[in-house]
Parts: sequence; C-alpha cells; structure tokens
Amino acid sequence: MAMQITVNGEARTIAAAPMTPLVEVLREELFLTGAKQACSEGFCGACTVLVDDQPVAACLLPVGLVEGRAVRTVESLGTAGDGLSPLQAAMLEHDAVQCGMCFPGILMALTGLLERRPNASEAEIRSALAGNICRCTGYERIIEAALAASAALRQPEGATP
Amino acid sequence: MAGSANGGGLYLATSLPDALAALAERGAAGAPMAGATWIMRRPDGRAYVGLSRIAALRRIAVEPDQVRIGACATHAELAAALADLPECRVLAEAAGRSANPSVRAVATVGGNLCAHDFAAADLVPALLCLDAAVEVTGPGGTERLSLADFLAMRAGLEPGRVLTELIVPRQAVRSAHTRLPLRVAGDYPVAMVSLAATVDGGGRVEAVRLAVGSVEPVARRWPELEERLQGQALDPDSVAQAAKGLLDGFQARDGVEVPGSYRVRVLPALVRRAVAAALA
Repeated sequence: MAMQITVNGEARTIAAAPMTPLVEVLREELFLTGAKQACSEGFCGACTVLVDDQPVAACLLPVGLVEGRAVRTVESLGTAGDGLSPLQAAMLEHDAVQCGMCFPGILMALTGLLERRPNASEAEIRSALAGNICRCTGYERIIEAALAASAALRQPEGATP
Repeated sequence: MAGSANGGGLYLATSLPDALAALAERGAAGAPMAGATWIMRRPDGRAYVGLSRIAALRRIAVEPDQVRIGACATHAELAAALADLPECRVLAEAAGRSANPSVRAVATVGGNLCAHDFAAADLVPALLCLDAAVEVTGPGGTERLSLADFLAMRAGLEPGRVLTELIVPRQAVRSAHTRLPLRVAGDYPVAMVSLAATVDGGGRVEAVRLAVGSVEPVARRWPELEERLQGQALDPDSVAQAAKGLLDGFQARDGVEVPGSYRVRVLPALVRRAVAAALA
C-alpha cells in the first residue's frame, strides 16, 4: 500500500515496503543520493537526515514510521548556484571537507543543531557530532567552521562583526 | 513479500487496544515495535505492530512520589523530562549520553528494556539502581513486575503482551551513571556502573544500590559491594578498593572489542568515578 511522506518540502508517494530503511528509499526510489548508507547500524552518521527537524539515522528508521512526516536531506540545503547556507559557506571557507562521504550527514546533524540552538557552544557542537564519524579531517576544522556558522547566524543580517 | 528482509509488514497502531488487537490477530508471526533502532539492525521479516504513535505510551508524568514513563518515550525525551529532578540524575545521564543524538531521538525506553540480546543498554543499570518497576499489558490485563523480574522473563514474553510503562520511585538519593566506551563518541560502553545512595549526616552510607551493565549478558545489581558499603564512608577511593576485592562473582562476556576480563578489571575505576560524581 502506497504511503505519503514529505521530502524536502514536496509530498511524495512511496512504493517501497514499510520496513525498508528510509535511507534506501531516499537513494533508490527518490534518487536523493546525498545521504549515504554505510554502517547500517546507527554508528557512522553518514545517513543522517532531519525528520520533523530532528536529526535521525535514516538507516535504522523504517520508512513506514515516517508516514505523514517531513524529511529534509542535504539536497534541501543551498547549491553553488542558488547560494550556500551559512553552514555550508563556513565549511567551504574553513576548507573543512575532504572525501565527502560523511559530509551530508555532518551538515544535517549541524543544521538540526543550529536551527534549534543558533548560539550553540563548542561543547554542544561536539556533542551533536558524537554520531558522525569522519576518517579524513580529524574534526577540528569542522568544529571551527560550525562555530563560525553559529557566530554568523547570531549576527544580524548585513551587520559587521 | 512475506519472509523477505523488508516484507514482513508494519501496522501503525493508533491506541493500545488497537495494538493489542493487531498483535492478537498476528499471533506468533507478529511483534511489537517502537523506535525500531534495534530491530532494524537485523530485520527478520516479522509482522510488526508499531507502537510509537500511541500518545498515551509516550507520556512522562512526574508525580509527587514517582515518575511514570511511557514505554515509547524516547531517550532524548526522557533526558529532557528529568533534567530538573536531581534524584533521577542517574537515569537522566544514562538517557542523555547513550549512543548518539540521532539514535537518542528515536530509540525508546521500552525498546531498550525489551532488547534482551543487547547487553550494553544504558537505561537498564540506571533503572535497576533506582528500584524501578515495569507494567506489562496484554489480553489478560496489566501486570506490574520489578525490573529484575522483567529482565529474567523478557526473552520469553509472548508477542501479544507489551511493556507499557516504567515506574520509578522518587527517593532522596545521590546518584550517578558512569560508562566506559573505548572511543569517547558514540560507542557502546564496555562496562557501566550505576549508583544510587543515601548517606547520613556523617557521610556514611544508609542505603545503596549499585548496578553493573555491559559486563554480563544482562545488567544486574552488585549485592556483595552494596552489603560491604553499608554504614561505611561514601568515599571514592575506599569504595573502589572494596570493589577490587569483590570481582569474583562476575561471569563477563567476551566481545570483539574487549575480552571479558577487561570489563571486570575496569569496574573498580568506574565505581570510583560513580561515587565521585554522585558526591559532586
């Protein structure tokens, strides 16, 4: 039986069986390949997406539990063409991205945090990333970029620091 | 699709009676499901009845003498609800630091207690040291059990009976939850110690409950150490010293991450940290 979920603001009808992991539906049925299916055990964070604004591990979430809910993936953030989000711009500025495997998950975990807590402290940023494993960067530039994004979000539009 | 990894089906129940009826209809082929984080690691094609949209099962009620926790409250919801209750600190810490934020947002209290093959569940030792009880509801009505009794029978719980609520008595205890993951972030702890104690005016132990998780296949109290601490000063170093002499009773599980002997060897250090945190 088909079910409806909202993905990146659009109502979508899903054909997959309800116990199919959300990440598989996003990638294979909707062709949104930003979220990565890597560990499939909720450890690595590469599949992190927002469900009703909350970061979740899409590998452990049956799509049937998402019925009627709103999913946001990394594809909902900005693009080079239409303008990056402040978080994406900070990541670019701090040269924080290497291979990119973990990055869609890291962006969504931090997007969820900064929407809830624009003033997030370094400790809160580190804690929000506890479930996002990166094997390239050593995290420090990612944390610095997230702190810069949080500072930019606090700054009123057009104001100079 | 029946029998395929993702094909067993999922029915989202709208109320507890609806869930019990759906489970009765599915019989042995059915199973209740809450946040699904444990089930989805090894999906087995059963016909699942989803409980997580039943509002009554998500409620957390802080009453004068007890806290009633709906089995479908998530770890994140529980940590937030207990943030201002100092006597439940051990449970707030266990709920707020287990796994990682993306899992805590979805994984439920009931699921953590029902995953009988999951030795590293954080909530279990925390609830044992708070002397929690559980309620199980089925076709024959609701039954209240101590958590220890529930842990002993949970693997054989019929699919038609559902863990619906936890009851945590509010007592003026000092408490703490300590855990040792090999990596600081997001890992399963190799061992955990939960502590709840009351001390008299002279700093001596009046009553203490200590529970150990992740060492044996199922978390349990540590009665030998509890007995030894009775009437003693609650001091981190001397309690750790006492723990060192009482390690023989543990039948620790070997794992890919550590041998069982390591889980036991770190217990005195975890006990020291638990006492220090409870006194802080």
